Amino acid sequence: MTRVQIEIFIGTVLILATSLIVLIYGLNEEGRMAEYELDQHARAIEEGAELFESQCSRCHGTQGMGIPGLCPPLNDRHFFDQRLQEISWSGSMEDYIVATASSGRLVSTRPETFPGEGTPAMPSFSQSFGGPLREDQIRNIASFIVNWEQTATVVEVPEIPVGETVGTDITRQLPEGDLARGETVANRLVCTACHVTAPTGPAWLATDTEPGIGTRAETRYTQEDYQGSAQSPEQYLFESIVQTTAYVVPGYAENLMPATYGTQLTDQDLADLIAYLLSLR
Amino acid sequence: MLKTLKFQDMRKKIMDMVDHRVRIITAGMGLDELRAAMRGDPPTEKPNPRFKVHTTSFIFHIRPRYYEAGSTILTHTFRLGFFTAFFFFVELFTGLILMVYYTPSPEKAYESILLLMNNVPFGKLLRDLHRIGAEGMVIFSFLHMMRTYFTGSYKKERSFTWLTGLVLLGLTMLLSFSGYLLPWDQLAYWAVTVGTSMVEAAPVFGEQANLLLRGAPDIGANGLLRFYLLHVVATPLAAIWVISIHYYKVSREHGISLPASLEEGDVSAEKKRVAKQRIDFIPDLLSHEVFLTCLGLFLLVLAVTLGGYSAPLESVANPQVTPMDTEAPWYFWWLQGMLKLGDKTIMGIIIPTILVAVLVALPYIDRNPYRRLVKRPVAVAVGILAMLTLVMLSYMGLPQWGIEANPATRIIQDLMPEEGMGPVREIPFEQLQAGAYEVGVTPGTRMCPNLDFGCPELEAVFADYSQRVAEAEQIGVITDIQALMVIEDWQQDLKKITLRMIYTDSEDGERKTYERHIFRHRERVME
Repeated sequence: MTRVQIEIFIGTVLILATSLIVLIYGLNEEGRMAEYELDQHARAIEEGAELFESQCSRCHGTQGMGIPGLCPPLNDRHFFDQRLQEISWSGSMEDYIVATASSGRLVSTRPETFPGEGTPAMPSFSQSFGGPLREDQIRNIASFIVNWEQTATVVEVPEIPVGETVGTDITRQLPEGDLARGETVANRLVCTACHVTAPTGPAWLATDTEPGIGTRAETRYTQEDYQGSAQSPEQYLFESIVQTTAYVVPGYAENLMPATYGTQLTDQDLADLIAYLLSLR
Repeated sequence: MLKTLKFQDMRKKIMDMVDHRVRIITAGMGLDELRAAMRGDPPTEKPNPRFKVHTTSFIFHIRPRYYEAGSTILTHTFRLGFFTAFFFFVELFTGLILMVYYTPSPEKAYESILLLMNNVPFGKLLRDLHRIGAEGMVIFSFLHMMRTYFTGSYKKERSFTWLTGLVLLGLTMLLSFSGYLLPWDQLAYWAVTVGTSMVEAAPVFGEQANLLLRGAPDIGANGLLRFYLLHVVATPLAAIWVISIHYYKVSREHGISLPASLEEGDVSAEKKRVAKQRIDFIPDLLSHEVFLTCLGLFLLVLAVTLGGYSAPLESVANPQVTPMDTEAPWYFWWLQGMLKLGDKTIMGIIIPTILVAVLVALPYIDRNPYRRLVKRPVAVAVGILAMLTLVMLSYMGLPQWGIEANPATRIIQDLMPEEGMGPVREIPFEQLQAGAYEVGVTPGTRMCPNLDFGCPELEAVFADYSQRVAEAEQIGVITDIQALMVIEDWQQDLKKITLRMIYTDSEDGERKTYERHIFRHRERVME
């Protein structure tokens, strides 16, 4: 055989081999594309989790359980099962979340239970409406929230207190507190939506390195860098709950804690809560 | 009437007609001639119809009529120039198809890549081919230049060919670099930000040039559009133009240079005569080109399928988050290395400009008429030295070199990098058992007694973490390290993993914390 013939022969074999490889590769294309879709969905949830933590958890709670008197729960059976009918939304759950997060809410749809942060009740998050996030980021947050659908349980919305509320004057005389009732108040207010050091539990419990909130309250207000006006551990906790800007523990950002608890708690509620917290040493 | 027509007449008439059509299509070669060419037989007619093709066909008139036998020796050219051109055509074809699925806007660009990957049959294959073709083109054009340098082929009448080759090397890098931005992921965004910031260092017009390129002080919608147009219109057009000039010089004017030993060496007249023998384009060179093309396609497809080559794609570009290890594309590492050595303007602009000027002027600087290696010791020494310097500078350009990261940051970045998988993300999802694990406190064995098969991978990563921490403690930049790994069940199929290091900085004696967390979803499997 001449060189020309050998080259034509090998070239033909190679082209056939190449076609065969592409053909075999092509047989798996459907599966590969499906796999990429799953992977991209997983990434969307991962990024959504990150964004939810930095943008949404302050108000909706780290686990989306909501904060009574402030923002509604999202990790909630009611939210997934009935919310769309309730407001006659025609699109999908994801659309609803994207729409709400993008443009925010000027006024709350449930002002009695979840008034939000004032005006607007919820800020807009899309860059198109002056917010910080791109559209794909908001879609990722929606993917993350929708991922709660399988496991969400009913979150009980606490009743609004009857009678006079406690206000923000920390020198106010409080009645005798009840330890056991205090714990139910803490649960009712879903404090652990934010005050959580997972996986050990609520942040006010003692950890390996720090004592419980009771001991912390006793020492904190005597420290030099303390700027509030409390004169006793009780007053320190009183102040921390109702005057959220009076003093912020170093290491935490300002304005993390909602300033609305003075209007949500009765004297008795607050006294119980303080008694409960002080007992944790 | 039919009776008067003999069967043989009809057959001859039909064959003549077919032959005539074939001659029109092949621009001069008839059926018999085609057959002879394919068989490697001598021409069937006189004058040689295979040469006629070169004057009558546009495609063939830019091809060489012949090369000298000596210049086609494989170990002389290694077919480097051929493969550079081959890669260019691969890029043209794959690029044209990719353009169908791509939208050059920051909102859509990344999404269109994701769609290409999960919704377009052969989309990933095309992307991988386009990417590996780009790498190949840069590598081969550089090797081609090295070969030309060491065989002394840039001398005398070929000096203009050398110049066009240099322009092509620049255009190749520009093509590759401008395409780098288009996926609009973190890798792309920051590599191009680093790259274009070098332009800014240019004296006098640096700021304007940078602005012209980016379209705004930072890369955004304008910058992406400009890079896109550079990538798909401006640079390819320029490249086609200069490739034509470069190729025409080689194929029609000077031919490929003979190996120096055959041209000026101590070889017999007979050998020189054989080396000067002509090898015709049709059929020898043409069949060889077809063969090389088949071989190239086969190897490329093999590399992206069975070879597992995969074009990287990081998370979407985020101008607010600078990744820890920002690096330019590898063919600019040498430049990054130089920038670490001194002033941005001198190292990033002035020295590279001098370098280019020296390369351009090389045929005029190097007045040595000889081409054999032994007769040009200085040129060979300079060439080898330049190559070693380039390799060393590239090594110094790596982000790991010369930039001391805080050990805590380094450890956590290595275990749980911002982009890509890293050891922690590679732990199988089932083994991520919730808990707080502390180095030196949690025993490193039997960490998950509740799991049927334990968690060997988690234990391995934890052991790695413990060892890195112990090493850091020994080096002593940071001391008293408390190192934690916390795994939390976050959502269905979603875990949160936090690495936290609390340490005393030996520089100022203060207690500091560095921590990073990631979320890991069960279905996340790929880089």
